[in-house]
Amino acid sequence: MIEIESLVAGYGQVPVLHDVSLKVAQGELVGLLGANNAGKSTLINCLSGTVRPRQGRIRFKGEDITNLAPHKIVDLGMIQVPEGRLVFPQMSIRDNLMLGGISARARKQRRQRLEQVLETFPRLQERLDQHAGTLSGGEQQMLAIGRGMMAGAEVLMLDEPSLGLSPLFVQYIFETIAKMHRMGLTILLVEQNSSLTFRHASRCYVLEQGRVAIDGPTEVVRNHPATRKAYLGM
Amino acid sequence: MDMLAQALIQGFLIGGTYGLVALGLGLIYSVSNIVSFAHGDFMSLAMYLSVSLFAAFAMDPYVSVFITFPVLALVGWGLYYFILRPVIGSNSLMIIQLTLGLTFLLQNGLLMVYGGQMLRVPSMVESKLFLMGDTVMRWPLLIAFIASLALSALLYLMLTRTDFGRQIRAVNQNPKAAALMGVNVTQVRTLVFALGIALLAVAGSLLLPGATLQPGMGLRYTVITLLILVLGGMSNFIGILLGGYIIGLSEAVGTTFLSGVSGMILPYALFIVIMLFRPAGLLGSR
Amino acid sequence: MKPEFFGILRSPVLWLALVFTAVLPLWLPSYYLHMATLALVYVGFAYAWNIVGGLTGQVSLAHSLFVGIGAMLASALLLRLGINMWVGMLIAALVSGMAGAVIAWVDYRFRLGHLSFALITLAFAEVGELVVLGWDFLGGASGLYLPKDQGNLQSFQFGGSSGYFWFLMLLAVLALGVNLAILNSPLGFFLRAIRGNEGAAQAVGVNVLRNKMLAMAISAVLCSLIGTAYARYLTFADPYLLASPNLTIEIVLLATIGGVSSAFGPLVGAGLLIPIGEMLRGHFGSMLPGLHYFIYGLLLVVVIIALPQGLAPAFSRLYRRFSN
Repeated sequence: MIEIESLVAGYGQVPVLHDVSLKVAQGELVGLLGANNAGKSTLINCLSGTVRPRQGRIRFKGEDITNLAPHKIVDLGMIQVPEGRLVFPQMSIRDNLMLGGISARARKQRRQRLEQVLETFPRLQERLDQHAGTLSGGEQQMLAIGRGMMAGAEVLMLDEPSLGLSPLFVQYIFETIAKMHRMGLTILLVEQNSSLTFRHASRCYVLEQGRVAIDGPTEVVRNHPATRKAYLGM
Repeated sequence: MDMLAQALIQGFLIGGTYGLVALGLGLIYSVSNIVSFAHGDFMSLAMYLSVSLFAAFAMDPYVSVFITFPVLALVGWGLYYFILRPVIGSNSLMIIQLTLGLTFLLQNGLLMVYGGQMLRVPSMVESKLFLMGDTVMRWPLLIAFIASLALSALLYLMLTRTDFGRQIRAVNQNPKAAALMGVNVTQVRTLVFALGIALLAVAGSLLLPGATLQPGMGLRYTVITLLILVLGGMSNFIGILLGGYIIGLSEAVGTTFLSGVSGMILPYALFIVIMLFRPAGLLGSR
Repeated sequence: MKPEFFGILRSPVLWLALVFTAVLPLWLPSYYLHMATLALVYVGFAYAWNIVGGLTGQVSLAHSLFVGIGAMLASALLLRLGINMWVGMLIAALVSGMAGAVIAWVDYRFRLGHLSFALITLAFAEVGELVVLGWDFLGGASGLYLPKDQGNLQSFQFGGSSGYFWFLMLLAVLALGVNLAILNSPLGFFLRAIRGNEGAAQAVGVNVLRNKMLAMAISAVLCSLIGTAYARYLTFADPYLLASPNLTIEIVLLATIGGVSSAFGPLVGAGLLIPIGEMLRGHFGSMLPGLHYFIYGLLLVVVIIALPQGLAPAFSRLYRRFSN
């Protein structure tokens, strides 16, 4: 479904990604692991169109989307749930969710999807007309994922969904992600929390200093000596 | 006492239109972080267009607004898309200098086309008066007030109830997140700029009856608009409307009760005093 | 930018240009000498403005206020109170310097970033114009006519046009020299730090408020001095010319077209455009008033989009290409 070929990208003079290739098939849940500054966020920002790659090619369902504007990529159904949630703090939760479904493809089914989201996250239902800035970190993460659902995503790219959340919330969020995956969504999960990623992903990539260091089925990556050394502290 | 009531009502009425002008600039600022120093000059442009339409077809300013509105929207669209967009994000100082260049372009373009003499455009309601209690008011002021209030209310509904409004607020709060939601950020910025400039056509036609035009007058409107914008906290809707009333009132009271210069300076003095106590604007919390 | 500023003093081009300019009154016809004098006035204004607008990176729109004080106050002191214009020039410069410092303080108090500075300085300039136009002591709307020049240097009279040319050239060179001196001083270092990142500068212990006030005051004093001399040269202190915010906009456009981050920028901008503008005004002034300002505006838009660094760096690139 997603094919990345020899991607090179960076900010200004500083290259962040060197020759990264990656594939995600339809219905897969793929983990993307790596330390801080390994280039994970840059990679999914290239997928979302907010960072322009210098070289390489990105294809979505066979179509070249390498230099497409962010809103066009959203229109295709490839949705990012950004790191740090990035909810709109001075807008109501309802307006945040409505914005999630603003793209042309999603607009028609907004009403039904809103109900689905509120079913999935009853906590949001109770606070529908509050400003999103008043929510806790975990609730904001629900809202951010809810926005992704509103967009009618075919691929959901989650950037560090566990960041800064209490363990209880982390578990809840990951169960939700697993549930959405079972319902047929393709998911690219960017995480520093490797144990949870290993539990849910079928395949994993490990980025190291802008390059793919290890990739393969989760079992292989998990037991790779380099992975164990770098991310599990063993 | 009569004079005070007269000044207060007049200032209040004109303040509504000032607020509308500042709302346009505030909307532009809130999505693009641009403050245009040529804003008042675009209102001059709209007013002079009305002059031409009157000269050619004897068209009342209240009618010609239906022509100047789309024309200014188009001008705003082109200006943003072709001139400002390439520079945006590179350097905020450059945008200031660029809009100062536009000020000279517009001011002197108008001077070249219309000459330097003062002009007036008569309107059918221009000299009609009505009584409000004991005070005599001019109809154009009341029309301007009601139209400005109605437009402000429409803008408010647009911002809070429509998808376009949600997109504007999203770009204001976090452009990156907005783009990730599928908002076409460039398009929103372009449309808002066009809207902000087009609103000047409305404000221009409302302020036109009874006003004398002169090519260099735009700068003073720009300054008034900027004062209101800062008083309002740059992007606070209610704050900006409030700022409009304060500047309108202080201007009217100043010119009625204080002689000469001190009267004209009153709005500025009031501005400085308010800002010293509330540096984040009237309703700011910072 | 710094090495370029060091280099400029050793550049023979600079010294040749100075000598060339200094001998202009000896052979130039009076019409063109007037143009050259105006160019010097605006070169001086542009360098003075550059201390705030270029070195500190803050677009000030208050400078018409300082020019206005220099022109109107010094003239009023002479005409109303009989104070010698040399003394009046110094008094006006002192008042301007203090006004500049106060404006910088007010801006610092508001702290809305770059935008607020342009905005607040514009409001001050607007108030300044209103005060001049409304206060008879300063000449009001009709301005102040200065007595005929009788060549008495002690009463701030420089005789013919050559005298004014040389005095205004001295002031323009002074403004340029102050720019260079500031760049090579601790103040220049602090101003660059403030321009780069005000918050970071403050964090490492730069006294932002003090340095901004100082820059603004120096810039204001220079503008005021030139303003006095300019009014005396014109023998008419015209508030619509010398105290109007449009004067500042003109200065900003000239400096920006030349290039604010280049030592030659203000020189190229004002030195090139003022004579061109004057010629346009001479030819089309009656048919198309404002044509030269229109062209400044147009040129600025083109320069910012095509050559964001301004004309001066583009010229020096061309020069280097041809000399290779």
